Amino acid sequence: MTPVWQDRLFLAIALALAAIYLFPLYWMYVTSLKTGSSIFAVPPEFLPGAPQWDVYTGIWAEANMPRYLWNSLVIATGVTLVTAGIGAGAAYVLARYRSLWIDAVLFTVLMLQVLPPSLMVTPIFVGFSSVGLLDYPRLAAILAISAKTMPFFIILCRAAFLTVPRELEEAALVDGNSRAGAFFMIALPLARNGILVGALLIFMQGFGEYVYSASLIADNRLQPASIGMTNFMEPNVVNWNSIMAFAATYVTPILAVFVILQRQIVSGLTSGALK
Amino acid sequence: MRRVLNTLRDGVGFDTLLVIVALTYLLLFAGLPLIYNVVISFQHVDIFSLGTLFHPSAGWENYTAIFTDPLARTVLVNTIVFTLASVALQFTLGFAVALFFDRQFPGAAWIRGLFLAGWVMPGLVVGVLWNWLLSGDFGVINYVLEALGIIDDPIFWRSDVDYSLFSVILANIWYGMPFNMILLSVGLAAIPDDLYEAAELDGANVWQRFWTITLPMMRATIGAVLALGIIFTLQQFDLFAAITSGGPAGSSTVAQYWSWQLSFREFDFGRGAVISVLMIVVVLAVALIYVRSTRAETRL
Repeated sequence: MTPVWQDRLFLAIALALAAIYLFPLYWMYVTSLKTGSSIFAVPPEFLPGAPQWDVYTGIWAEANMPRYLWNSLVIATGVTLVTAGIGAGAAYVLARYRSLWIDAVLFTVLMLQVLPPSLMVTPIFVGFSSVGLLDYPRLAAILAISAKTMPFFIILCRAAFLTVPRELEEAALVDGNSRAGAFFMIALPLARNGILVGALLIFMQGFGEYVYSASLIADNRLQPASIGMTNFMEPNVVNWNSIMAFAATYVTPILAVFVILQRQIVSGLTSGALK
Repeated sequence: MRRVLNTLRDGVGFDTLLVIVALTYLLLFAGLPLIYNVVISFQHVDIFSLGTLFHPSAGWENYTAIFTDPLARTVLVNTIVFTLASVALQFTLGFAVALFFDRQFPGAAWIRGLFLAGWVMPGLVVGVLWNWLLSGDFGVINYVLEALGIIDDPIFWRSDVDYSLFSVILANIWYGMPFNMILLSVGLAAIPDDLYEAAELDGANVWQRFWTITLPMMRATIGAVLALGIIFTLQQFDLFAAITSGGPAGSSTVAQYWSWQLSFREFDFGRGAVISVLMIVVVLAVALIYVRSTRAETRL
C-alpha cells in the first residue's frame, strides 16, 4: 500500500469511528425534527423527512424554556464569577512558591476536587437549611457548585501561571510596581488564555449542573434547564420528539462553543488533569 | 495599621491573602460539610428536625440500619460492578482509539477532537439521549441488534432487572470514553519516536513494540487515567437519574444514588449521611493513590 492510500484508508476508518460515536447526537437532532407518529416508525427513519420546526416553537413556550435557560445562565454565571474570582489568585500563589505549606495547600485542593456532589449534597442541604441559606436557593446552589469547581479551576490555572516567567514580574517590581500591581498588570494578563479556558469549562459545568440544583432549589420558577428537562419528561414520556427538541435547544450552545474552541479546550483540559 | 495595609498591597501579605480567601471558601463549603456529614450520620435528621443546627442523637443506629438493610448487598454489588465495568471498558476502548489516532494521518487530530463532543455534554442530557436510544419498543439500539440477528426479541433495557444496571453502564462508557482517550493520547505523544525506530531495526513486530515500549512508557499515565476513571465513575449520578432512577426494585441503584435517595426521597438524612461518609472514605483513598502517583512523575 502506498502512503497516500494508507492515509486515505485511515481517514476513512477515523470518519467511520467518529460517525458511530456521534450517532446519539445525530439521533437527538433527527428525532427532534420528526412528527409525533414517525418517531415510532418501524423500521426507524434514519434520515429526517420534512423537518417539523414547530416542535421547537411548541416546546419553547409549553416547557417554559426561556425561564429554565435563564436560570441555568444565572447559575453558570454565578459559579464562574465566584470560582474564577476567588480561585485565580490562589492558583497564582500556588504556582509562585515552593514550600511545605504550599505543598499542603495543593494537596488539600487536589483532595477536595474528587468529592462527589451526590454525596456532599446531604450535609450541605442540612447545613444550609439550618442557617437559612435555602431561602435563597439559586445562591445556595451557586455556593455549593463553586466549592466543587474551584479546586479543578485552581489546578488548571496554576498550570497557566507556571508558564509565566518570574523575571517579568521581578522587572515590574524593580520598576516600582507593588506586589498587587505585578499580579494584576503582569501575571494575570500573561496567563489570560489558560484562565479563560478554565473559566469556560467551569461555565459549561455550571450550565449543565444537576445534583445540587435538583436538591437545593425546590421552587419551580428558579430551577435550571437540567431540572426543567426532567420536569418536562415526566408527563410527556412518549413525546420523544419534544423531549429531544428540549435537549437540542439546551445543548446546542454548548456544542457550538466546543466546536469553535475545540483546540483550546483540549489543551487546557489535558494540562490540568495530568499535572 | 499602615504596615498591615502595606504588606497586603506590597508584600507577602498580598500572596497570603489570596490563598487565605480561597482556603476559607473551600473550608466553609467543602471542609465543614465534610465534618458535619460525620456528625449527622450519628443523628436523627428528618424533615421536622431539619431547621435546627442540633438534632437528636442516634448513636450507631443509622449505621446498623444501613448494614442490615436488605438493599445494602445489592447496592454494594451494583457499585462494584458499575465501577469496574465502566472503568475497564472506557479505558480499553479509549486506549484503542488513542492508539489508532496516534498514527498521525492527515486530519487525525481534528477528528479525534470530535469525540470530546460527548464529554462536554451535561450528564443529564446524555442520560436522556440514552434513555431514548435504549427504549424497549422503539429504541434504535434494539432495532439495530435485531436487524443484525444478535437478538430475537427486543430487550427492555431500562425496566428489566437483568439489564437496568447494564443500560447505565453502556451510557457511562460512551460518556467517559473520550476523556480516557484524550489523556492516553497525550501520554502516547510523549513517547519518543526513535524508541520505536530502534526497536523496528532490531526486528520487533507490532505486538512486541506495544508490550516492551508503549506499555512500560505509559505506566504513569495509565495509573493516573485509571485512578481518575474510578473517581469520576464514583461521582456519576446524572445518568442514573435520567435513565433508570435506580430501579426497577433497586436493581440499578449504586451507593451514591442510594445515599441521595435516602436523603431527598425518604428524607432520612442521617442514613443518607452514613453512606455518604463511607463512600467519601473510598473516594479519598483512591484520590490519595492518584495524587501520590502523579506527584512522583511530574513533581507537582
